[in-house]
Amino acid sequence: MTRRIVLYFFLMSSFVSVGQQMVNHQLIARNLGEKEMHDGIVLRTFGFAQSFSEQPSIPGPTLYANEGDSVVLDLFNVSQGAPHTIHLHGLDVNQENDGVPHLSFEVHHMEHGYYYFVAPHPGTYFYHCHVVSTIHVQAGMYGVFIVKPADGSNITWDGGHPYSQDKLYTMSEIDPLWHEDSVMEHDHDTTQTIHEVSIPEYHPSYFLVNGQSEQQLLEPDIALQTAKEEVSFLRMANIGYLANRVTFPEELNAKIISTDGRPIVNPEISDTLWISPGERYGVLIEPIVDLIDSIEISYVNMNTLTSEDIQYVPVLVSGTNGLNEVLIKRPFELYPNPSADQFYIKSFGQAYDCIKIYDAMGRLVHIENHDNTEKKSININLAEGIYKVEILLSQCVLDTLKWIKR
Amino acid sequence: MVFLKESAILFLCITTAFNSFSGQISDTIYINSGTLQTFNGSSLPYKCFNSSNVFDKRNAILSYSISDTVSLTIFNNDISPHRISSIELGVTSGLISPGMNETVSIHSAASGTFIYHDSENYPNNKILGLAGMIVFRNNSSASFYWNLKELDTLWINEISSNNQLSAEYNPKFFLINGNHNPDITGDSSARIVGNVGDTIHIHIANTGNAIHSIHFHGYHLKVEQSSAHPGHEGRIKDTFPINPMEVLTLELVPHQPGEYPVHDHNLIAVTGANIYPNGMFLTMLIEP
Repeated sequence: MTRRIVLYFFLMSSFVSVGQQMVNHQLIARNLGEKEMHDGIVLRTFGFAQSFSEQPSIPGPTLYANEGDSVVLDLFNVSQGAPHTIHLHGLDVNQENDGVPHLSFEVHHMEHGYYYFVAPHPGTYFYHCHVVSTIHVQAGMYGVFIVKPADGSNITWDGGHPYSQDKLYTMSEIDPLWHEDSVMEHDHDTTQTIHEVSIPEYHPSYFLVNGQSEQQLLEPDIALQTAKEEVSFLRMANIGYLANRVTFPEELNAKIISTDGRPIVNPEISDTLWISPGERYGVLIEPIVDLIDSIEISYVNMNTLTSEDIQYVPVLVSGTNGLNEVLIKRPFELYPNPSADQFYIKSFGQAYDCIKIYDAMGRLVHIENHDNTEKKSININLAEGIYKVEILLSQCVLDTLKWIKR
Repeated sequence: MVFLKESAILFLCITTAFNSFSGQISDTIYINSGTLQTFNGSSLPYKCFNSSNVFDKRNAILSYSISDTVSLTIFNNDISPHRISSIELGVTSGLISPGMNETVSIHSAASGTFIYHDSENYPNNKILGLAGMIVFRNNSSASFYWNLKELDTLWINEISSNNQLSAEYNPKFFLINGNHNPDITGDSSARIVGNVGDTIHIHIANTGNAIHSIHFHGYHLKVEQSSAHPGHEGRIKDTFPINPMEVLTLELVPHQPGEYPVHDHNLIAVTGANIYPNGMFLTMLIEP
């Protein structure tokens, strides 16, 4: 460790040269975090914070550097129990800084570990603990590292696409059983760098976007809020153990332009994007109409290839006023949810003429015209699962709701 | 030691096939049944296409030159009938009864990685192990071969006993060329070894039922071939999803030395029988 501290000060001085910035980040590793889920349940977490006064968040803090910057990342492990590391996922650092315990180093209780690298191509990358990674990543020890162009401007990369805002959406899941002490306080042998650990079956019940789910996604900092003909750059990243199928509203004109921190030579215009664990994508959107809709994110089991859940990120394309009102006062309500063969759609004064129901793979399974009742009963016999319910007027989608058939 | 010997034989087999004179060549594989021993002591009935009469849990990797037309003879040493198919190569044999053999002609106009599998009693015979890869190459660069497959012990036992499936797919073993971490690193056909600046090709076939998401530490690689998404060819990435019964060919030109992991980033797949570490995790070694 002494050697690393000496190296740190050497690099601190040697990195300061013409044309380079030096960027310092500190992550404090803790394993007694708490996270309140959308249903009020509070779970124990592991995670990273940037000060002692804050809880470790899920995901961890988003870190930034500009292309060519010399980055020093200080991991300060104040947690009891197993050691931790930082793997700089996709940043292609050298072996010593790669964060894999038996091939580089691990950071024990009350130790600092320093990681050094030069920020590579602009893009979206992860950092995460690589000690018993199956448990520590699920526990919350991950975040996103964003590299911007050398001048820090809002352009995807030198010679790339300018944008007015970027939005980061990091997908993951939580299985509450994995957050019990019996799992999180796993065995570890401080004389070994490979820790053999038993893990439970994985049955996630929280499906997250930026650590939030369900009504938490209605918060304005999650919603995609933009204006007609304004270009936004979406950074989509999956650090969970399920695949994501992301469906953008067609009117957003989504164009997939980069992946894993590199440009795509032939950008793909598509309203559907699959993101597997560990992947990142850059998506440009430039809506052509005013719109209230949502980005649909399906969480697909890697073994059964079936969707386990769908989450919706609100989209508002209009002027920048009134977002809170729009998000809080949705025009329709679906209840009870989950339910068996019947549910109701209640309108809060918004006229509509059609209801369409899609299964988790996007197939239209039911269509029904509206009969002008304020509370409409839907009776339908479908297999258990997650369904998307679209409410339309004159073939325009007014709202999209989720129904869980039990 | 036994394993290393097997790896050396396999490597020799691959090399020999590739170094044969281009043109009309003959090759032979055998359908063998045997027992796959898992690391935690379970014994599973298993079947493979092997390059000899002796059962090996690793399906034969058939590697040829692009100019070769291959006359491939398949001997069925099993007690059930089988058939060999390669959909992308347009090859399907007749039904091969126990104790009989069949010869098919294989040729590819384009280089790439392809899957061959038992299309009889599909997909159950494939789930029992009968699927491997054929590679047609147009270069002599270093090449490595990964046949990805998971094992659901319940499914394998049910198919073996009554050819029926009663439960959702829930694999507990995640294998590359029939091996899990740390044994995969001892497989010379799988473990990437090279030097900075080399051009290295990695041929990946997913013959399992699950999606895998292979993440490389230390390097970005180029997608040379994607059977599922030809439009993705040319992309430079560090993480590569691969769907069931699809293939990828990746090109790696390492820019730095070191020993780096490659693993499935569905981190459930770096376990085995609920034990971490295990599964689809190996390291690559790049010398200066």
